[in-house]
Amino acid sequence: MAEKVLLIDDEVEFLEALSERMEIRGMDVTTAENAAAAVSAINSGDFDAIVLDLQMPDMNGIDMLKVIRKTNPDMQVILLTGQATLEAGIQAMKLGAMDFMEKPADIDALTDKIKKAQAKKMVIVEKKTEKKVNDILKSKGW
Amino acid sequence: MSRTQCETREGLRFFGRISASVSHEIKNVFAVINEAAGLIEDLTLMAGRGMPLQPERLKSAANSIQGQVKRGDAIVRNMNAFAHSTDEDVREVNLIEALKLAVDLTSRFADMRRIKLTVGESESVSMAACPFDLTRLLHSSMAAAFDSMQPGDTLVITVSPADGGASFSLSVPGKDAPLKNDEPFADLARAMGARVETDEKTGISRLLLAAEGAPA
Repeated sequence: MAEKVLLIDDEVEFLEALSERMEIRGMDVTTAENAAAAVSAINSGDFDAIVLDLQMPDMNGIDMLKVIRKTNPDMQVILLTGQATLEAGIQAMKLGAMDFMEKPADIDALTDKIKKAQAKKMVIVEKKTEKKVNDILKSKGW
Repeated sequence: MSRTQCETREGLRFFGRISASVSHEIKNVFAVINEAAGLIEDLTLMAGRGMPLQPERLKSAANSIQGQVKRGDAIVRNMNAFAHSTDEDVREVNLIEALKLAVDLTSRFADMRRIKLTVGESESVSMAACPFDLTRLLHSSMAAAFDSMQPGDTLVITVSPADGGASFSLSVPGKDAPLKNDEPFADLARAMGARVETDEKTGISRLLLAAEGAPA
């Protein structure tokens, strides 16, 4: 199944080239150039992973990560940045980011992380479904 | 700690702030080049497997690389000029060039606040100044102006001769005069013989640099 990915970055040429490369690798890619477009995409689409720039003009990546965690606590987020600092990395991981990569990123490493994100999400969804079924079975008393 | 050490530390902090911003921009340039070159490689590999090659896609990726090389070259040229601003304590400085450099080095800070920064029509003027401190003063005054601005605003800066010295005018079309608070750079301005004047009628704030030896 094609991995559904949302790429968020204000560098338009970066978004265009990276999304085309990911599509060549069989992924279903949506792009957003700013926080408002990103929030709208997140609300209307179900993604396996979000690749997020740490520094954007209208909202920094850490704040964006907080917004994502609030509305989609199980979302797998990979932070991609030109300014990889240890503190930002630690803060991002504490906030539940799945991973942290520095630009320019290696496409194979990024693809690998996205595949892992999809697998992780599937496990979470399966566990949630299992719990739901168990709850129904318990409450109905069949 | 002595005042001299504090000033040195503040100068170093400014140097670090600009260098960090420039290095971030260069990283972004490399990231775009990396993806565009990678895309060319992907398309070539696909062509090797029999998929028809679309010349337009290759051309677009190559154009992107060329554009980013130009962008990177401009960033590095500015960084080089900034680094050389520490060569001499005082020299004759072309203030239009100094303003353009300060604006370029501050543009990313403006972008992060979604503010547009432009150099307006200026008059040729030069004077003896410390190039590094002047860049710092201009950057600090623009940063202070940003604090009174909103996303979408444009800060226009011009320079012209004034009483043997120079006047940098800061205005935001359609809005009140910026630079209501010069506290963040007041010490530096005083040390450089500069002062701020704001004219609410015209909506212009002026950073006035006194001629050498004249009171600000």
